[in-house]
Amino acid sequence: MNSIPQEAEMPIVLNLASDGELLKEYVIESREHLNNIEQGALLLEEHPEDADTLNSVFRPFHTFKGGAGFLNLVPINHLAHGLESLLDLARLHKLTLNAERIDLILRGRDTLRQFIDQIDAQLTGAAPPAPIMIATGDFGRQIQAAMTNEPEPASSSQQTEPTAAAAPSAASTVKVETSKLDSLVDMVGELVIAQSLVAQDFNPQAAADPRFARNLAQMARVTRELQRVSLSLRMVPIRGVFQKMARVVRDLAARQNKEVQLVTEGEETELDRNLVEELADPLLHMIRNAVDHGIENAAARAAQGKPRAGVIHLRARHQAGGILVELQDDGQGLDKERILAKAVEQGLAAPDVKWSEEEIFHFIFAAGFSTAREVTDLSGRGVGMDVVRRNIERLRGRVEVTSTPGQGTLFKLVLPLTLAIIDGLIVTVGGQRYIIPTLLVRESFRPRREMISTLQGRGELVNLRGRLIPMLRLGEQFGVKPAASSPDEGIIVVVQTGASLKCLLVDGLLHRQEVVIKSVGEMIRQRNACIAGAAILGDGRVGLIIDVNSLGSFPVSFGARAANN
Amino acid sequence: MKAEDCSIPRTPSRALPGKYLTFVLGGESYGIGILQVREIIRPTAITPVPQMPPHIQGVINLRGKIIPVLDLRARFGLAAPAVNDRSCIVVVQVNTTESAGVLTGLLVDSVDEVISLSDKDIEATPEFGCRLDTRHLLGIAKVGPTVRILLDLDRIVGDETRAQV
Repeated sequence: MNSIPQEAEMPIVLNLASDGELLKEYVIESREHLNNIEQGALLLEEHPEDADTLNSVFRPFHTFKGGAGFLNLVPINHLAHGLESLLDLARLHKLTLNAERIDLILRGRDTLRQFIDQIDAQLTGAAPPAPIMIATGDFGRQIQAAMTNEPEPASSSQQTEPTAAAAPSAASTVKVETSKLDSLVDMVGELVIAQSLVAQDFNPQAAADPRFARNLAQMARVTRELQRVSLSLRMVPIRGVFQKMARVVRDLAARQNKEVQLVTEGEETELDRNLVEELADPLLHMIRNAVDHGIENAAARAAQGKPRAGVIHLRARHQAGGILVELQDDGQGLDKERILAKAVEQGLAAPDVKWSEEEIFHFIFAAGFSTAREVTDLSGRGVGMDVVRRNIERLRGRVEVTSTPGQGTLFKLVLPLTLAIIDGLIVTVGGQRYIIPTLLVRESFRPRREMISTLQGRGELVNLRGRLIPMLRLGEQFGVKPAASSPDEGIIVVVQTGASLKCLLVDGLLHRQEVVIKSVGEMIRQRNACIAGAAILGDGRVGLIIDVNSLGSFPVSFGARAANN
Repeated sequence: MKAEDCSIPRTPSRALPGKYLTFVLGGESYGIGILQVREIIRPTAITPVPQMPPHIQGVINLRGKIIPVLDLRARFGLAAPAVNDRSCIVVVQVNTTESAGVLTGLLVDSVDEVISLSDKDIEATPEFGCRLDTRHLLGIAKVGPTVRILLDLDRIVGDETRAQV
């Protein structure tokens, strides 16, 4: 078991035609194993002798090796075998896992991931079929060296054979294709509509049988619960992202000779699967900033009377129907004066205005601000912070930042629980119903005639408490003849678009409703950018969701003209 | 049909023998490959979408999925009659060059029958010169006295999903 095959490097040639399905499964499984290995290895760093953890790293390598052997992926097989042997020695207490060896395991794991990534790319057609060649020869030698250069530990190691090692306590799970989940959610949505249609037809006065009413109410309860459960199926714990961050912190800190400890809380907090994936990128940026620029090196920290090791807290919890992710470091904090000076220099801020602390910190999210080298070198922070902000806003969330000089910085990400559902305000224009995301609605009111003024016979402005806001007639935009002939018969909805406001003139407001967002398909999207999606309303008909940002930025096209002709 | 592009190469019949669903549009009989047909539904409430050309009627809720509905009459430049009780929406699933399995509803006057076509029933689309764009036709089927126009749905739907406005 201890001998590592030392052959010449062999490329992997995939037989996509015959092994496609098997390879696909192997890739999915392997990714899971690689994650387990990474987590385990990080744990081993703190408890190198822990038998359970050793086993939890050893086992994935073993399965990895088996699968690779079966599929004739020779280099993967050899590399996994080598690392497995190393771990085996550790398991038998013939070898202790020092930092170097754990590093070797982690690097080996990264190389295995490269293999898997390339196989995956060929499977999905992202890369042309070609022999996969990644150098692993060095690893063989390094592993061999790591296994031999330490003599047997002198102390007689008590032979505690790992007997029937406890499997990692994971809640039993079933893997399901997301398309199946989506169609389940679709069908449950239809069931809810069908149920409410039945309930509407039921007239409690006319019905002789009270049992029918009871059963109907029971059905309503069950359907609601079913909908809640089906939507929760998409929810996963945020743990995966947090674990990725642990690795990032470890590697970055080691590279910069800093001592940084990552403390995570609320890893079990659940949110939409898509959100978890989208969250990884912005968090990575922020963590990198915190280690790079926030946390000082050990000497500087000691001089300030702080503990040598910096601490980064990563917390998640549910709050007010959404999720709150906090990233807090105990580093040097943001330098207010420097940021303001830079903002003034770049023309982002007027020099003679008194800015609040909050406003100053928000400059770090401005596009282009981050790219200024002087800022990143001197005061730190800001690398790609505009990307962070944009990512978070795309997820319909927001970022808040507070900082105390010398004591650290706290970033708060406030996010919705899911991307699949929005709270919508349903408005009517000329008998058509449209949905406006409630999050963007500032207020709505019936305008008085004198509030509206016309510019050059075309553009219209609403004077709202002394503020002039451009007005768009939704009916005109959409080529629908509105029921209200003049604005003072309609309702104005004030919406937030980026930093500015827009007034939308509609016939009336119907109600607020939580709706499941669905795609309208390419055919529609290509022709009308103002439609962000669609949702199925309470009566089973389709309502269109308005993208208020695009509204008014495109000329009214031939569809509207055709409707007028 | 549009008569503008004369440079389109005329290909002989691309229609394969097999089963076709036939339907009527403006008195003419058309056929589409049965394997592309998912279901046939009665016309339901169509939500019109702003700024669409006349032949895109809007979107419907097909058991929780939102799909666009094409009015084939308007698409082929035929006069539009009122939707009557024989009108149907044929839900088809086609593979366009961009994506596979796109669901689309086709509004037709009435659905006829399913016919089996063999090689000898199918003829190449006749040349009409510039007067008729035959790009969207697979071929012509002649069964007994009736002529049926076989449609290339992949192209008809595919052209709609490509940016052209």
